[in-house]
Amino acid sequence: MRLFGTLILRPLRRDLLRTALTILAVALGVAVIVAIDLAGDAATGSFRSSMQTLAGKTDLEIRANGGIDERWMAPLTALPFDLHFSPVMEAQGTIRDIGSVPVYGMDLLGQDGVVVSKALATRLNSAGPVTLNLDGRPQTFPIARTIDVANAEFLALDIAAAQQALSRYGKLDRIDVTVSAEENFARVEEAIRELLPPGYLIEKPGARSDENQRMLRAFRWNLRVLSYISLVVGAFLIYNTISVSIVRRRAEIGILRAMGASRVLILTLFLTEALLFGIAGAALGVALGRVLASGTVQLISGTVNALWATSRPTPIELTLPEWTVALLTGVAVALASAFAPACEAMRVAPTEAMSRGAHEHHGRLRWRRGLVWSGVLAALALAACQAAPLGGYPVGGYVSALLCVASAALAAPALVLAVNHATRAVVARRVESLLAGRSLVASLSRTSVVVGALATAIAMMASVGIMVGSFRETVALWLDVQLRADLYVAAAAPAGAGVHPALPPQVPAILAGIPGVEAIDLFHALEFRFRGERTTLGAGNLEIVRRHGRLRFLGGEDRDAILRSLPGQDRAVITEPFANKFSVRVGDRLAIPLGGLNVTLTIAGIYYDYSSSQGLLIVDRSTLLKYLPDQPVTNIAVYLPPGADSNAVQRQIQLRTAGLGVVTAPNRQLRALSMQVFDRTFSITWALEAVAILVAMLGAANSLLALVLDRRREMGLLRYLGASTAQIRGMILTEAAFLGLFAAILGVALGFALSLLLILVVNKQSFGWTIQFHPPWMLLGAALLLVWCVTVLAGLYPARVAARLNAIGLAVE
Amino acid sequence: MPPPRVELRAVSKTYHDEGQPVEVLHQVSLAAEAGIVTALLGRSGCGKTTLLNLAGAMDFPSSGEVLIDGRSTASLDDGELTALRRRRVGFVFQFFQLLPTLSVLENVELPLLLARAPKARETARDRLRWVGLEEKAASLPYQLSGGQMQRVAIARALVHSPDVLIADEPTGNLDTASGDQVLALIHESAVRFGATVLMATHSAEAAAIAGVRVHLRDGRIQSIERA
Repeated sequence: MRLFGTLILRPLRRDLLRTALTILAVALGVAVIVAIDLAGDAATGSFRSSMQTLAGKTDLEIRANGGIDERWMAPLTALPFDLHFSPVMEAQGTIRDIGSVPVYGMDLLGQDGVVVSKALATRLNSAGPVTLNLDGRPQTFPIARTIDVANAEFLALDIAAAQQALSRYGKLDRIDVTVSAEENFARVEEAIRELLPPGYLIEKPGARSDENQRMLRAFRWNLRVLSYISLVVGAFLIYNTISVSIVRRRAEIGILRAMGASRVLILTLFLTEALLFGIAGAALGVALGRVLASGTVQLISGTVNALWATSRPTPIELTLPEWTVALLTGVAVALASAFAPACEAMRVAPTEAMSRGAHEHHGRLRWRRGLVWSGVLAALALAACQAAPLGGYPVGGYVSALLCVASAALAAPALVLAVNHATRAVVARRVESLLAGRSLVASLSRTSVVVGALATAIAMMASVGIMVGSFRETVALWLDVQLRADLYVAAAAPAGAGVHPALPPQVPAILAGIPGVEAIDLFHALEFRFRGERTTLGAGNLEIVRRHGRLRFLGGEDRDAILRSLPGQDRAVITEPFANKFSVRVGDRLAIPLGGLNVTLTIAGIYYDYSSSQGLLIVDRSTLLKYLPDQPVTNIAVYLPPGADSNAVQRQIQLRTAGLGVVTAPNRQLRALSMQVFDRTFSITWALEAVAILVAMLGAANSLLALVLDRRREMGLLRYLGASTAQIRGMILTEAAFLGLFAAILGVALGFALSLLLILVVNKQSFGWTIQFHPPWMLLGAALLLVWCVTVLAGLYPARVAARLNAIGLAVE
Repeated sequence: MPPPRVELRAVSKTYHDEGQPVEVLHQVSLAAEAGIVTALLGRSGCGKTTLLNLAGAMDFPSSGEVLIDGRSTASLDDGELTALRRRRVGFVFQFFQLLPTLSVLENVELPLLLARAPKARETARDRLRWVGLEEKAASLPYQLSGGQMQRVAIARALVHSPDVLIADEPTGNLDTASGDQVLALIHESAVRFGATVLMATHSAEAAAIAGVRVHLRDGRIQSIERA
């Protein structure tokens, strides 16, 4: 213990700033992981609606694609069991100055008026009637009573009133079944299944919530992986800190070994140093993560709601298991990254008290071996990325990414030497750059670790930048192909993933009658269940789509022929994510539950689509209406003749549909909105990137500071030889600039490799879509320049320290 | 008689060790003239290195003053001190202090590069020739013997033709033959280049080349003898 105090703790105390920087780096790495985990849990934590809380215990739920016919309630209640059936409807309404609120229809025994949750009643601040926009029109209900359900905000109507308010006469969203404890549950379930049409789904409560969690698996997994980047970068930093620690104390280690210290003792000493960094960093990280989670939850929640399912964020809960996992993660990463240098310390011979120069000289001789290993790992990475997804996760892709990072890190020494060699003529022109370049090569192993850390951060930034940029461009091009109509009409009700508010039935006729309208495409969207997942079934006039649209099919298949083959037939086209998710090919026949029937549809084609990772199945509306005749129209695409004044037509639509709760958006507005959703989705990605870069910057500052402190003698000597303080500062800043340059070269190369992995493997396996490669050159260039500048800035403090070193005695030590 | 190039007037130097003042030099007065080697003799810790640092304007007295060509070093700002070291002062150390990452020629050239002086490479090569190591120009320091390293260090110290050469135990780490070579070069730098040489040493051989020998004890001048 005393040895630990002398050899480890005392130097850490002496180098307090460097110690603090290392701990902070670990803390940031752990904080990001904790924040993403906590915020992810909170944002997606409750798919259980407040209605479910309100309704109490339920044993079974009955659902159907396209809704349940309420006439099934009678035969169900006639079943010879002790059961209770509750009809349910769920919708979203808007209240002025409050926004969107859930509206539930349930059996309230014919009660007039609306039941308001206590939390909402408090916000309404009035006991008078409440007016909400429902089904595209304002509707006013007296408040019957208030009810307190776990701070939830909602309105509940009696089922009949809800059907009327939503214009969905005779339809139910769900029937909840409560089975008496005395009944045989399996027999009850069997009896209900036998009674109901084959297309009806009977499932356990919570299945939907599980389904949502499953649906979000890929999103959360990718986010989680992204959140580990900072810790990976932090691992380089710990490796570096422990390496520096060992290089500095090599002589002491040699003496200790000579005095009888065992190899295990030396290993334990340095691993304990790493353990200290891990514990301190992780503890700080958990606290920081809890704070960051509060800011992140809305971002994640927004994305989940926009793209997957309506969720109700729950309070952030930092539980003991989460604490433990975070602490163990920090400690494990610290120990793992310190293991190699600690082993090196263990191998120091008793008689050895090598200088840094000799150690580094050996390091320089190892670059060829590193390069060979780098090649081997790159080959393994290539092999790993070919692997099929494991349990739906792109494990091969991530293993490949890790191997790429390791390969790049091993190539760093060779790169540093190569760049140094290539620039030697230019570098020799200024004494500062000459000294800086030589110094970095002289401490090659340490330089390489910093370059590896910075390059990893830059690569992550570049790869995600390229992936997002390519994705964005692909989506923009796709929107151009997809959105061919001049105007789009939808219900004014709040929409979201899986929520498709119906348009009032009179709207199509109104639109068709407006002069200047060439064609209208009526589109029906409905959430439907397929192989245990939720996806969307869409139906439109495919002849209009064929004439006006430019859908692109996979494999360049004949669009006209495919679309012509659909009307009136049990044929469908599917999106690429649908095909990938469910492994469906052209020509496959799928049994789709529609209403009470299981309809067999033949897949006529697969087209590129980026609107949903859950996928879409599209049929002609004649086919849909054959099985679900009452299915309401949810969207209308309005086509105008060339040269028509779309603003005038839009005004006409607004005028003629006034009061019907309809919104009209011109083509460009819809595109802009889509791109806004896209950008919002990736905003958290950028935040995570920024933290990784910050950690790398801390690493650069930390390493430069170590270099400065280790080269105090050299700095002192230079002052004796006539170097000005400005020259010393310039030298350190030039070193920082060199580090940035090395890292930028390696980082960009690695970034391109990782971006290909993200685009071709990770995204494809996680979400199922093809992203075209469109690197955002300007953005990448600007980001690289920024990182480079920040690296130079990271050198400012070490440069200041170097310039202020007292030269007296340093040169004659 | 020309005025002394380096003059110490009643110089005292006190350091603080854990809050306690420790006087390293006490009321030292000394004048070192051009073209003469002045040797500082005395046991370790008697204040030789401190005196050299003061004379080379790397440090400043706690009291008294150090004059170089009649100007007090304490009156110079950082820029002037840097300029002074670039043009007027050269240093030689016991442990050579060559930069391991630079070649022999680059090490010699370094003071000129720092001063952004013209024709640095040619001048450095001249100096290397003078110390007899031109053929080692491209070598790295670790490829040289101790004596060769110290000769390179002398070439570096004199590359900018300084008026003052400060040498701290220049032969302390060398064998006799190498030490003799180095001493010959130091002597020549005074005689040939007219440098004022201040040399701290324990060695009798080194003291033998000095024109003036200053004996120090416990931070005080005990005696000064002229050859």
